[in-house]
Amino acid sequence: MGSSVNLRWSRVANLVPVLFGITLVSFLLLRLVPGDPAQQILGNRYTPEAAAGIRRSLGLDQPLLQQYWLFIKGAMTGSFGESYQYHRPVGELLLDRTGASLMLVGLTAIFCAALSIPLGIWAAVRRGGLVDQATRVLFTLGFALPAFLVGIVLILVFGLKLGWAPIGGYGNGVLSHVGHLVLPALTLAIPFSTVLVRSLRSSTITVLEADFVTVARLKGIPESRILVRHVLRNAIGPVAVVFGINLAFLVGGTVVVENVFSIPGLGSLLVGAVSTRDYPVVQAVALVLAVFVVLVNLLTDVVHGLLDPRLSVGVQR
Amino acid sequence: MTPSIASPARRTHRTRATAALGGLLTLALTLSACGGDTKENADAAPGDTSSVDTLKLANAVAVDTLDPIQASANESIWLDQNIYARLVQTDPTGTKIVPDLADKWEISEDQLTYTFHLRPGVKFADGTPVTAQDAKWSIERARSGEDSAWGFLITPVTDITATDDQTLTIKLERPHAPLLADLAMYAYAVLPQKAVEADKDFFSKTPYGAGPFKVTSLSPQSNLVLTRNDNYWGPKPKIKTVEVSIVTDDNTRLLQLQGGQVDVIENPAGNVLKQIEANPKLRVDLFDSTRVDFVSLPLKTKPLDNLKVRQAIKAALDLGRMNTLAYQGNAKVATTFFPYQMLFWDESAPEPKQDLAKAKQLLAEAGYPDGFTIPLIAVSADAAGQAQAVVIKDDLAKIGITVDIQSFELSTAYDKQRPGTNGMGMRYWTNDIIDPDEVATFGADGDGGAHAFNSYWKDESVTALVNQARSETDTTKRAEMYAQIQAAIADQAPFIPLAYAPFRYASGTWVKGFKVSPLGNYNDSLLTLTVEEH
Repeated sequence: MGSSVNLRWSRVANLVPVLFGITLVSFLLLRLVPGDPAQQILGNRYTPEAAAGIRRSLGLDQPLLQQYWLFIKGAMTGSFGESYQYHRPVGELLLDRTGASLMLVGLTAIFCAALSIPLGIWAAVRRGGLVDQATRVLFTLGFALPAFLVGIVLILVFGLKLGWAPIGGYGNGVLSHVGHLVLPALTLAIPFSTVLVRSLRSSTITVLEADFVTVARLKGIPESRILVRHVLRNAIGPVAVVFGINLAFLVGGTVVVENVFSIPGLGSLLVGAVSTRDYPVVQAVALVLAVFVVLVNLLTDVVHGLLDPRLSVGVQR
Repeated sequence: MTPSIASPARRTHRTRATAALGGLLTLALTLSACGGDTKENADAAPGDTSSVDTLKLANAVAVDTLDPIQASANESIWLDQNIYARLVQTDPTGTKIVPDLADKWEISEDQLTYTFHLRPGVKFADGTPVTAQDAKWSIERARSGEDSAWGFLITPVTDITATDDQTLTIKLERPHAPLLADLAMYAYAVLPQKAVEADKDFFSKTPYGAGPFKVTSLSPQSNLVLTRNDNYWGPKPKIKTVEVSIVTDDNTRLLQLQGGQVDVIENPAGNVLKQIEANPKLRVDLFDSTRVDFVSLPLKTKPLDNLKVRQAIKAALDLGRMNTLAYQGNAKVATTFFPYQMLFWDESAPEPKQDLAKAKQLLAEAGYPDGFTIPLIAVSADAAGQAQAVVIKDDLAKIGITVDIQSFELSTAYDKQRPGTNGMGMRYWTNDIIDPDEVATFGADGDGGAHAFNSYWKDESVTALVNQARSETDTTKRAEMYAQIQAAIADQAPFIPLAYAPFRYASGTWVKGFKVSPLGNYNDSLLTLTVEEH
């Protein structure tokens, strides 16, 4: 029993070097590409003197190591400095924006589950049947189409032609937010479900062929009960892992989708900040997103362990 | 208005495929264009009252800050003008200074003392009186505040004094002709000193000044609500509310307009203008701007240090064709490096004509009869700039010069252009003030930090002229000097002005009277604009 807990703690301890690596990458990435925040701020008013003044006031004239140290020190205390572009504390900007992104990811996850669990099982049970073939074709198509195109087509059909959904934006109030997020979440859920449906299908097929399923059938347990209680529970484990791993792509997808649907989330904040070389914002958003992904991966492992206790320890209890 | 941050990405160009489709289509397009004109003429005048009291505007670029001394995104600056009043303002044509908070002012004989008299009883949106002390504090803040980007404009100012509540005196060390134009700029807005000092987050909450609108809701990146300021000294806007949303995606913005979710959109993509015009409920609005597109020929890149090479390049370009390809003919061919909607633009300057024989001859005289190869740095997301670069490549190939177009994302492109050693570069300028001093200093003063738009061209006599013109208050003499400066740049070609591009908007025909001034402001039109049921 103790070893299981220890293993989890050691996973948590492993996060430290990972997080350190993330801060280093998010710090260096923008600084290594050409482009000067002072240029962004000054535009055509750029003169070397004015630019030097701006770099000084932003602390960009200090050695890289010093700048990095300040960033780390700030990040530890939850202070990410002030945005060059918005002239507001980065922490405030993040708080303003995190809600929309979390809601989008959450809604997407719900849609994914709602789409892929029934379809995946159905496709496995009726192997080679209509649903199996249709999900294969449709979802592969959905996966191949870029999110900005799917998004625009959804807006065109459901927003403009049918008038069922708002045409982008975020609305006011939680209910309105959810209404505004349906199409964007669907845009993200379609390609994402592809992976999940296929993976759930194959793991379900494996489980369906297992001896205990045959035993359950012999015992006369109804097929629906077998599917839900015995098959799904065993088949979902690998899918949860696939979900966790692909969550990084989902977070990447929000960046595009938030722009198409003009949702004030972290993704659209990041895009704007990269093009304006708003270092503090890029660093902070990259860090937050990375931490989110890392934590979800950890959570996936834990959940997977709960679903299948053999995997959580790796040592015999 | 910081042009580089503005929105080159939005200025997409229309392909010329349609032009080749022959008579019928051309006729159809012409008819649709005419239709557009009719819509414009018949419907644009504002009504007496607005049956819908809210205008919904979708901008392409986020509000960076509503602190006028820090704003660098054009979209923020244009909003600032609605919120904060200044001592004086520019008229809707962008060529004249008219009263704002100060209803009259005197300039001393020696041009060194300006005395402004505030309108009696003028108030901020919260009802507190606007005093000369507020004006003094605000101008000082913009002039020497740590965060201000705009102090350089009024360096000759030595002293600002609030003589009494109504009177403000500004003293100069030397005559400074652009002073009124500078004070009309958003950065020199008069702010409520006490309120700003009392709250360090003043500008990120619900800022107000003495302009026609005040902010009632602000989440800077997604949504901004302006509400009519009933304490405004001037005509009361007919609409009560302006809702500004930020929709960065070009397609989504247009779809929102088509669906009637918004009333006006900024920067519709260039390749959908005809489609918008074809919709009877929508309208494309093109407004004269102060934008000047140019290609720089920095002298630090050989052989651009050779005058005849630069002149040859200039003679080889077909700016008319460039306008067709980059702006569907909606821009105007540039004749000087001054914006054409500006004081002292030389209207007698000839339109440059392509002359390949002359270009070849100049190139031969320069010692390059067989041409040479040179890079051209362009901004990848700037569709119009990309089209211009292609025309430059094509035209220069005709005189034996091989152009290697290198496209970079905006920030990187400007980084590459700045040292002047990496070849030619696609650039553009927009004005912040109606006075030409700013563009003259940045474009023609070789001693200035901008190195004549980073061309590293320098001419002592032109630098002297730029400085003299700044201090010259006799309008005729000043016009003369600026004509000489424009002619010198045209002849010396450290950069070649290409096009005067318009501001692009699209709106529903239910919006009556939306207009944008050459500086990009729409505050005047929001005073009279009306919105109908739709």
